[in-house]
Amino acid sequence: MKVKAKEKDGIVKVKVLAKHQNIGPEEGEKKKKEANFITSVIAKVGDAIVFEMNGSGFMSANPLYKFKFKGKKGDELEVTWTDLKGETETKKAKIK
Amino acid sequence: MDRRKFLGLGLAAVALAPITVSALDFRKEKPDAWKAEKTEEAIKALYGEIKVEETGVKIKAPKLAENGGKIPVVIKSDIEAKSVALFQDANPRSAVAVWTVPEGGIVDYAVTMKMKGSGKITAIVEGKDGKFYSKVLPIEVSKGGCGG
Repeated sequence: MKVKAKEKDGIVKVKVLAKHQNIGPEEGEKKKKEANFITSVIAKVGDAIVFEMNGSGFMSANPLYKFKFKGKKGDELEVTWTDLKGETETKKAKIK
Repeated sequence: MDRRKFLGLGLAAVALAPITVSALDFRKEKPDAWKAEKTEEAIKALYGEIKVEETGVKIKAPKLAENGGKIPVVIKSDIEAKSVALFQDANPRSAVAVWTVPEGGIVDYAVTMKMKGSGKITAIVEGKDGKFYSKVLPIEVSKGGCGG
């Protein structure tokens, strides 16, 4: 997972590139692969949640998520995704 | 229950705790919304019987997507929102993603989604005022995603 966060005028722009195949159930049948996709993405600064999303099997493979929130330079952003099998990946990034 | 199993359960609970406690998990709370085949059904399963106003929401997406496997979609709105949901009617099921907007959050979300063929995408914004706002946008897909 790649996370980039950049602040300008009090607004932090974030790009998250997750590495995941994101295979929906029907697609899995066709490709003879197990269905598994990112079900949730959460981003936090400290204890405060700044981004929260529930996904489906219709997200693209290696999805790109973008969002904005009010924040400041130097803070640490922590992004975590969880997939259908319960696996998670967390990545921290300093807001630039 | 034997000790090993019990400890394992404890570990699993601890690992899940920060996500389940702090966040509203739409996948767990509204399982039917993710199974619905039609956009209207999915919206009903997620929000109930609602009246939507077709205003205040913007969708940015290509009119003609060459690759249905990766369509960039941006949803924007100035409405103070509680949640945002994205649906489409080309895939076997309608719901694509649901965002919970944090307090003071900015509705400017981008994702990359898959579409099996041409269809309509629908964005719903649940306002803090209790009203619902929507935008519908047709997208033409020349090569379908979802392995199609």
